[in-house]
Amino acid sequence: MATFIDKLREKEDMVTEGISACKGCGGEMILRRALKIAGPNSVCIIPPGCMAGAGSIGWDDTSGMKIPVTLSLLTNPASFAAGVSRYYQQIGRPDINILAFAGDGATADAGFQSLSGACERNEKILYICYDNEGYMNTGYQRSSTTSEGSRTSTTPVGNVNKGKPEPSKNLPLIMMMHNPEYLATASPSNMNDFVKKVERALEASKRGFAYLHVFAPCPTGWGYKSNESIKYAKNAVKSNFFPLIEYHNGKLSVKKNPNPIPVSVFIKGVKKFKHLDDKSIEILQETTDKRLETLLKLAE
Amino acid sequence: MYIKAMTGNETVANAVKLCKPDVIAAYPITPQSSVVEKIAVMVNNGELDCEFVQVESEHTSMSILQGASMAGGRVFTATAGNGLHLMYEPYARQSTLRLPAVMALATRELMSPHTVFSGHQDAMIVRDAGWMQVFCENNQEIMDMIIQAYRISEHPDVLLPINVCYDGFYVSHLTERVEVPDQDKVTEFIGAENYKHITLDPKNPMAVDPMTSGPRLMKFRESHLLGMQNALDVIEEVDKEFYEKFGRSYGGAVSEYRCDDAETVIITIGAASGDAKEAVDKAREEGKKVGMIKVRFLRPFPDKKIASLLKDKKAFAVIDRSVSFGWNAGPLYVEIKSAIADLDTSIPNFSAIGGLGGSDLNAEHVYRCIEMLEEFKDGTPGRKETIWLE
Repeated sequence: MATFIDKLREKEDMVTEGISACKGCGGEMILRRALKIAGPNSVCIIPPGCMAGAGSIGWDDTSGMKIPVTLSLLTNPASFAAGVSRYYQQIGRPDINILAFAGDGATADAGFQSLSGACERNEKILYICYDNEGYMNTGYQRSSTTSEGSRTSTTPVGNVNKGKPEPSKNLPLIMMMHNPEYLATASPSNMNDFVKKVERALEASKRGFAYLHVFAPCPTGWGYKSNESIKYAKNAVKSNFFPLIEYHNGKLSVKKNPNPIPVSVFIKGVKKFKHLDDKSIEILQETTDKRLETLLKLAE
Repeated sequence: MYIKAMTGNETVANAVKLCKPDVIAAYPITPQSSVVEKIAVMVNNGELDCEFVQVESEHTSMSILQGASMAGGRVFTATAGNGLHLMYEPYARQSTLRLPAVMALATRELMSPHTVFSGHQDAMIVRDAGWMQVFCENNQEIMDMIIQAYRISEHPDVLLPINVCYDGFYVSHLTERVEVPDQDKVTEFIGAENYKHITLDPKNPMAVDPMTSGPRLMKFRESHLLGMQNALDVIEEVDKEFYEKFGRSYGGAVSEYRCDDAETVIITIGAASGDAKEAVDKAREEGKKVGMIKVRFLRPFPDKKIASLLKDKKAFAVIDRSVSFGWNAGPLYVEIKSAIADLDTSIPNFSAIGGLGGSDLNAEHVYRCIEMLEEFKDGTPGRKETIWLE
């Protein structure tokens, strides 16, 4: 049986070489690998954000992909994809993968209503959110998934306020409460798990709404060395800051993590957290623990 | 063909059923709601085979339409007032992508003050959003224009979405006799499939609408304006063809009433045109030489035709059911003034505003305008004060 490494090696890259994503971009890695798994019989919808800005859609009369792709509005990747899907259901071509690939701004903020509506209607699409915790394409402004305490260009570290005062919007949980056909979180650090989840999500998207929330470390916006993205992705998972979950057939499972590392280890070396004092780090740890506790209770 | 009494909204649903779109997405809003209800009944009874998406907002109904039409489908939605304004972002993109689509618009006043009642303000505000806009006077015209709308919108020289507007409540809720054409004749008239100039199909992969440079974008705009101008001819062609097949003609982008020997002209749009005809008839009986122009298409604006109709007249008044903020006049009045700017005469004229927020706009109001034109016609040329038809 082909392992995930075999699959990623053998399958064709649907995205052109030479797009202008930053070195070490988590989002680009997720895009390329998800679309490799999806293959050529797919349509891809990308709203404004890093992946659009990096040229994965194209420029003027060039295309950034080997599959049909379009740049939707920030507010409508889910509903736009649903429209494409509805047409293909109606004309009897339900085999096509319809993917929306959006950042956290389009997903959790401006496009949230359309996402919630599409999920409630069980639209036959796969929606992938690459969560880099902010509007990274336009200069690292805060989004609702920006984690507590993070420094962004709109939550700067000042004399009075230091970083983002609010905890992040817990989007995977909110989406799970919609009871989608399939939901999972994934991380580029756990590629075996990631590939399996993309496959399951694609399969589920033929029956209804599938949602993947993927952790997407951002060296440029967060402030760390570009060769350290996987390290931070791994530590986010190991610290339970970003737990790996799967919701399938109405049942939640949480990937076991018997020896978690402290959140302080995950954030170490990341500039956006550099100003955090012990108390702020403690708050981050508390939020992390509470969220995991909720997940484990829901998974019982 | 069969004849049935139905409301304006029911007429929309029956027309849509004949046009068989692939995807319909709509959100109920006063005064359009019964369109969505009626379509739901048709879908649930198996009379209409389409993907019918009952969305959480109008922003999504337009987004669903956009996805479906970019993939290559024939689409439909209906809305009113606030719904149209909520969908503005994808709405403007539908036209600038040159994606055909048909939208029924039961026109509604803009708030505030808070209202759900009639007015053309919703449609007028988006007149520069790149869509075509036709205003219907009665239910039969709604039936016929929904059918024609697909032909005009999907014409390869046009490729633009279209609003089929009809006055909220005054037409949407009015029951009238409607001739419903045969299914096979309608299918033959509009064609089996949408024209696909772009598509999102894995069999023919392409990137649609990536980021685009300014000079290239200007070419798109130029072509959009040209498409609008082409539509003026296409509207007339389709009107003629429709007449040959179904026996009804509306005269194209503009229709005129008793204009030939008229000295003065009343210009209307939408439902008030019926009342205006009544007022014109009454004035004619009294020997007043008055005619009427009903502007059917606001976009594209039939400027040349209007200029030629007004060329030898002595005075005109434009009755708007909306306002142009900043002009102290109605928007149709401003459009008409632009259309006649190149005529070397400046005849007496004025803007009349009435029927806002569901207020009555009837034959008496129009008659008052006719009397004023009689006063002005031999007097000093140029614009007179705007009047409010209260």
